[in-house]
Amino acid sequence: MTFRTRLLISFGVVVLVPLLVFGLGIRSEMSRRVAGEDTRRVTALVNVISADIARENDRIAARLAALRRSLVDDIDFRNVVVRGADRTNFLDYAGNAMRVAGLDFLQIQDDEGRVLSSGHFRNEYDRLGPAVSGTTLVRAAAAEGPFLALVTSDSLTVGGRRFRVVGGTAVDSQFLARLARDPELGVGLRLPSDSATADSGKLVVGQLTLPYIDAVDGPGRVEQAHIVVTRSSALLAALQHNVNLWFGAAVLVAALAALLLAGWLSTRISTPVEAGFREMERRVAIGDLARQVNHDVKNGLAPLRNVFRHLTQVARETPDELPQVFKERQGTVESSINYLETLAANYAKLSPQSERKATDVNAVVRETIQGSPSVRTKLAEGLRPVSADALVLRRIIENLVSNALDSLDGKNGAVTIATEQAKHVVRVAVSDTGRGMTKAELDRAFDDFYTTKPGGTGLGLSIVRRLVLDSNGSLKVETKPGEGSTFIIEIPAQ
Amino acid sequence: MGGAAPAPEESCLLPTGAVSTTASHTITIGLTEPVDPRHAPIATNDAERIVFRHLYETPIRFDCDGHAVPELADKWTKDDDGRRWTFQLRDDAQFWDGAPVTAQDVVFGKGGLGYTLGALETHVVTVMLAKPKDEVPSVLGDPGLAVTKPAPDSSWPIGTGPYWVTNATTTTQQEIRAHSTRGDTLVFKLVSGGDARDLLDGGVDLLVTRDRALRDYAATLPNHTVTALPWDRTYIYVTAEAGSTRFDGGSLEQSVRAEARRPEGGFWWLDLRGSGCGVGQSMSPPPQSGQHRILYVRSDPTARELAGRLAALTHAVATGRDADDFSSALAAGKDWGYVVALPRVTSDPCRVAKASLPAWAATFTALLDTRATAIARRGVARWTVDQDGTVHLAP
Repeated sequence: MTFRTRLLISFGVVVLVPLLVFGLGIRSEMSRRVAGEDTRRVTALVNVISADIARENDRIAARLAALRRSLVDDIDFRNVVVRGADRTNFLDYAGNAMRVAGLDFLQIQDDEGRVLSSGHFRNEYDRLGPAVSGTTLVRAAAAEGPFLALVTSDSLTVGGRRFRVVGGTAVDSQFLARLARDPELGVGLRLPSDSATADSGKLVVGQLTLPYIDAVDGPGRVEQAHIVVTRSSALLAALQHNVNLWFGAAVLVAALAALLLAGWLSTRISTPVEAGFREMERRVAIGDLARQVNHDVKNGLAPLRNVFRHLTQVARETPDELPQVFKERQGTVESSINYLETLAANYAKLSPQSERKATDVNAVVRETIQGSPSVRTKLAEGLRPVSADALVLRRIIENLVSNALDSLDGKNGAVTIATEQAKHVVRVAVSDTGRGMTKAELDRAFDDFYTTKPGGTGLGLSIVRRLVLDSNGSLKVETKPGEGSTFIIEIPAQ
Repeated sequence: MGGAAPAPEESCLLPTGAVSTTASHTITIGLTEPVDPRHAPIATNDAERIVFRHLYETPIRFDCDGHAVPELADKWTKDDDGRRWTFQLRDDAQFWDGAPVTAQDVVFGKGGLGYTLGALETHVVTVMLAKPKDEVPSVLGDPGLAVTKPAPDSSWPIGTGPYWVTNATTTTQQEIRAHSTRGDTLVFKLVSGGDARDLLDGGVDLLVTRDRALRDYAATLPNHTVTALPWDRTYIYVTAEAGSTRFDGGSLEQSVRAEARRPEGGFWWLDLRGSGCGVGQSMSPPPQSGQHRILYVRSDPTARELAGRLAALTHAVATGRDADDFSSALAAGKDWGYVVALPRVTSDPCRVAKASLPAWAATFTALLDTRATAIARRGVARWTVDQDGTVHLAP
């Protein structure tokens, strides 16, 4: 992984993680505020419904009070209840009064709750009506079928007998529609007989409880009904979907922007840093080399100094033995000199004089291997020339091919040179099917003087690395013990 | 036995006081129900009864006391111990278009259970009865035997009555005008959903109603007489729930706004099973479906109130239907119960039963008898009442 890639990932993580955290925070806060606002709306609507019902109840109560006063004064009613007169005409009393009062439900009940006159269902007289006290939701019978009414009651006394006037307005879809002031919230009814999952498309978000009497088949008993505030689950899902969609889009756009910024920054930063790294590596290598040269020269000079001191001592003390001693020590001197010469030759290889110019990589490869049967080539056509010294490039390839051939250990195997045009570089891969390298070997493979070959100088790969770096290129190794290695060089194309 | 047409009994005339006779005049009759010419000559409501009675004629009719009165036939004789009756058509009997009425016009396509019609001569109709009768066979007064023929340019069939329709060709008109050869004009005004009291205050000369409130209002008008007509209608409850129907409230008459009484016996419809009329012939009624519903004819307020009372007593639901839909539903028998209005007397029980009662095995429970009230302006015309309660101008 290159330094630029690492930098890109680091920048990405550094930017994206806070961005994500920030986004999630915003989303969470937004959801909390939306939920809070929704709760306030639902609460407000429930309060409005409650006020509407109270107002409706007051309206009904006012009409019942007027009816009560009229009923007390009504002669037909008095004749029926006090003198037992024919009630035929009185059966129509509630119907007429109901229409005059603008009500949808009206019963006049005796002290037992028996209906004397019914406005909404003229012929339900003699039946027991619902015992209503206060605002109550009543499911009432009518000739054409049951209906719901919001009713309340009033009472009066005529001839020493107590009577009750029960009246109300129909609770139908129009009534519920009037209660639903918020276009996004629906208002419905949930009766005790309704199943909880009556309408799966609606979410109950608020409710108001009312006493409820089912008086269709008799006086009924008081239960509880609920006026429920509902929201369409589809609407909620759509809202949630939109929020998530926009949140995702915002995060995506921000992430893309962050990645672009990270890419630009990593490029801006990595280019000089990588150059500095290379320079630092170079300086380190020079320092290492200088220390090595110092050490090696000292090693070469030490025998010479010893021989010289010995000869000096012999010449001072026993001049006659000087030839004999010189002869005896000549081998040491010559060996040291040879050593130093070899050392000098090797070091000379570390400081090539390169001359960069447009170089055809394929031509260098062909020239290097000169039809060697041991090396196969896969050379890409149309390679762009690289900016490098052809001689340096040849030394790189020579070293890598030499190493590759050596790794075969004389066994049958293959060494392949492949070239490839990448985006901005020309890639040269030297592969072998030799013994490969262990992790430890790989870690030291580019160290100076490290070798696993008998008689090797340990400078081959070190030289290769330096030459590649000098050419502004890069070198990487893919290797597996027992299966071989591939050295990949990337040289900037012109 | 032979007979000339007797004059209508005084007892059948409405008490309208002395009537001044003039050369020609206009009589206005108020109607509170719709009139559909397609029903002619068999009426389905009180309004159609009055209108059709003036436009179409049966061979004879029966006055409120049950006496036979000449119409198309002015003479009749009995033969074969009352098994064969011969009717002589009036010499001047003719259709509105001037075509003479022949015996063939009377008998063509007619006939029913227990009698056979024949055209003996041009103006002689014979009736062969399955069972001999001493009295004139009442079937000759049935509206089903009224003589009509199709009119090419009108929805009203051409009749033989003293009046013919001159202005109405559709079912939506608010006024029907009819004229007689004497130059008299009959104007039928329909209230059409408005207040029937407006008709009275607007000057109608006759209005027949079953509404108690309207009757009570008319009683306050100084120039009108209010006369209760014969008990002419019985409401019955028809259900397949044999033995399960109990209406022992005893005060059903309170539940309706019409003048009503507990039903009195002599129900002709009780003897129909096995008579060949097709009533109650099916062994079992069809299975019921859905909610317990009691059906009634929507345009009949008394039937609606009765159905409502029965629904209140049985926790069922009363559901109104148009007349045609009601007949279909009754024939199908899939509902819990039906409130059916039947005439208390009929000239042809089989015809009425086929039109009004189901073929499946049903339980019939008499609910109420009702009657109408005739409200007539004093001193304008002489009105008489037939056996079936129909009011019409006296000849």
